[in-house]
Amino acid sequence: MASSKKVIMREEWEKRLNHIRIRKEDMNKLVMNFLVTEGYAEAVAKFRMETGTEPDMDVAMIMDRMAVKEAVQCGNVEDAIEKVNDLNPEILDTNPELFFHLQQQRLIELIRNEKIEEALEFAQEELAPRGEENQSFLEELERTVSLLVFKDVSNCPVRELLDISQRLKTANEVNAAILTSQSHEKDPKLHSLLKMLIWAQNQLDEKATYPRIKDFLKATLENPAV
Amino acid sequence: MPSATVNKPRPSELLSRLTSAEPEVKVRALREVKNQIIGNRTKKLSFLKLGAVPAVAGILADSIDDVTDNNNCNNDSNNAINILVQSAAALGSFACGFDAGVQAVLDAGAFPNLLRLLANPNEKVVDAVARALRMIYQSKLAPKYDFLQQKNMEFLISLLNSEKENVSGLGASIITRSCETNLEQKALFDAGILRKLNSLLEGGSLSQRDASLESLATIFRNNPEVISKFAGPEIGRPLSSIIDLAKDRYPRTRLLACMCLIVIRNASPHFLQDIGIKTKLIHILLELLDDPGQVGDEAPFAFSSLIAQKEDLQKLALEANAIDKLHHHIKKGSLHPRRYEGILLALADMCSKLESCRSKFLSLQVLNLLADALTDYNAGVRAAACICLKSVTRSIKNLSAGYFMNETIVIPLVQLFLDPSTSVQVAALGATSNIVVDFTTRKSIFVQCGGMKQLVQLAKSMESSVRSNALWALKNFVFQADNRLKEGVFSELTASLLSSLIRDPEPSVQEQALALVRNLVDGCINLIEFVFAEDGLILGAIGRQLQCASTAEIGIQGMYALCNVASGNEFHKEAVMQLLFTQMGDKNQSFVIKFLQSNDSRLCTATVWTIVNLTCPSSPGAPGRLEKLRNAGIVSQIKNMVNDPCVDVKLRVRTVLGQSMAFGDN
Repeated sequence: MASSKKVIMREEWEKRLNHIRIRKEDMNKLVMNFLVTEGYAEAVAKFRMETGTEPDMDVAMIMDRMAVKEAVQCGNVEDAIEKVNDLNPEILDTNPELFFHLQQQRLIELIRNEKIEEALEFAQEELAPRGEENQSFLEELERTVSLLVFKDVSNCPVRELLDISQRLKTANEVNAAILTSQSHEKDPKLHSLLKMLIWAQNQLDEKATYPRIKDFLKATLENPAV
Repeated sequence: MPSATVNKPRPSELLSRLTSAEPEVKVRALREVKNQIIGNRTKKLSFLKLGAVPAVAGILADSIDDVTDNNNCNNDSNNAINILVQSAAALGSFACGFDAGVQAVLDAGAFPNLLRLLANPNEKVVDAVARALRMIYQSKLAPKYDFLQQKNMEFLISLLNSEKENVSGLGASIITRSCETNLEQKALFDAGILRKLNSLLEGGSLSQRDASLESLATIFRNNPEVISKFAGPEIGRPLSSIIDLAKDRYPRTRLLACMCLIVIRNASPHFLQDIGIKTKLIHILLELLDDPGQVGDEAPFAFSSLIAQKEDLQKLALEANAIDKLHHHIKKGSLHPRRYEGILLALADMCSKLESCRSKFLSLQVLNLLADALTDYNAGVRAAACICLKSVTRSIKNLSAGYFMNETIVIPLVQLFLDPSTSVQVAALGATSNIVVDFTTRKSIFVQCGGMKQLVQLAKSMESSVRSNALWALKNFVFQADNRLKEGVFSELTASLLSSLIRDPEPSVQEQALALVRNLVDGCINLIEFVFAEDGLILGAIGRQLQCASTAEIGIQGMYALCNVASGNEFHKEAVMQLLFTQMGDKNQSFVIKFLQSNDSRLCTATVWTIVNLTCPSSPGAPGRLEKLRNAGIVSQIKNMVNDPCVDVKLRVRTVLGQSMAFGDN
């Protein structure tokens, strides 16, 4: 196939790459930002000690946030709610969707533990009003409540709600909300950088043939097809 | 082990624990109340009804002096701190986005205590209290802050200077909520507040930047003086920092920055007028429509404030495909009512002046969409749909083609005449006023679906805006309509109703009633009999109203009504003459002279036209009438106007003089 695209061979490419200087401090900051955003409090403290990089957030704040996230991941939703409210009462007061998802998770945990009567009471007292207050939650609400209908929940159409991944989803949502309330980005910068790389390569693909990175974990340059 | 406690204490049980003498029990109960109400509007309401707010406010008041020293770490002082923190947090949550809660907190007298606690030595207490006050200030019910008092201004400055985000945020919220007048804006400027806000804009956190943008917009609103002082050379280039924030990564910041820039643009002709910034603002706001949350709900309102009444911006927005984009969002359906309302109003603004915009909108087959919106369950959406309809029905091309006079639109529109909301009624009447100016013969559709009778009913409404808009619609309805239609309207209205509307206490109603008469009697000599019905009720009302016309518009419509009557036969002309010469009290001067001497050329024109009709040579009684007019000094007044700067006046004056010369006048 005759191509009008410019071709850049590997040697030329590597030469150009070598001209770019990346500072160690910047890379440390990227790593620190990742550890802080993901909430690895101990790693943050250790990394700080070993490299002298300052985290852009108090370690104590990271630990508070992690306590909430872990509570959700263990299914202790009520505990998580209390902790979030101690941290910042505005978060759940101004985030109806997040609050709904937390209440939804509570119901799921009650069902998982086969506390059906309590679950019914909870659905009526706490979950139904959410649907009344906000019509956009009704569909999700119905899906969740339908768990109560099936005898064998592990085989019903909405069984993915019982998955541990559902807990993770809720935990991530809370984590992001807390970070936002602290004026911190909810995604690590590393994440954005990788997305930028993918986008830049896609753009360049239309104009040139060059050694691209296919596997981000290895970051090896693939030889350009000629 | 997952917790599954649903056997919580009942609310009433909780409230009784609040009264416990043991501080630990109290703290736990307060915390439990707080945790039950956060995020839960239903619970807030039920606790409210049980009197929770006064109970918590009472605890706050009792404990206010308990924490005086930040250094005590014993159990007692911990409990005291916790009591303050939890009660403040609970009160803040009651007030968060919940007006009934705000009112309850204010009624319970908690506000002054919260203010006092801002000076508390304990950081957590101050944080909780500042947050609670911020929630109160987000509501319209917040107490008005008096900026003009020196110590209040100093207090505000101390809040803004605080390092704590919640405290400086409170300062900004107070400004955004309470600053209203130019005087207050100037006072804030003089106290150096703008400089402080600007530094928060450039060096603060996300929430501080957002709060600062809102406060700045409030201080700039309608105040070109403050704007030019702010944008002047002393404070660096502050406008550019706001412009930069319009491109910020966070959608809310972009929206608030755009809103601030729009406030500046609208208040001051010197700033932000180049095409680059106009285009940028349009694009940013259109893109913000895509945001799924509150930012996307508010974006169309900001867009409206940018383009409203401004043809140049509407043109630019049209080129940027604004109409397609707005339409695309509505088509998606299941919109939040606020967003739906905003988009409809934005489309209304886009189509308010330019035919190109209306054509574009109508080309998208929107009538069914608008018909749906007219029947929406939300009053704001219904009103916005009517306002949008009013804009597009200004398209004469489509109006003449009878595009709008069809049942899809007319039936839901007429139903809105009975809407429980007055603003919806008025908006529906506005749209109707345009639609009934139908140049085809399809006006009968409107009668068939009961629209005409409804309009007459609304002309009797207690709301003056409904009366005047209903009359406006009737006025347009009978404009150049056929005799049968006009007779139908008149018999439904009756002479006594119409004459009482001419004498209505509201000037706007008087004006529309007179204009309706004008249109009714126009065109056919038989219709002139309307004004003589029931012993000349209407004619008499016109005469009396013209004697004491409070606005030029009333005089204009009244004179044109008389002018049309005077275009009839001898009897009609003599009746008008008699009206013109009725004295009021001791005044010898007829209102005719007053009108002829008016600065408003439209009024002069209308009056001279009437004289033209009274003195037209083909009628036998003309010389006699001319004599009377001459004796009253009216002819010489008219002679003085022979070189009037207004062309309409000049031409009509010359017609009168020409006619008078036909009778041998010098």
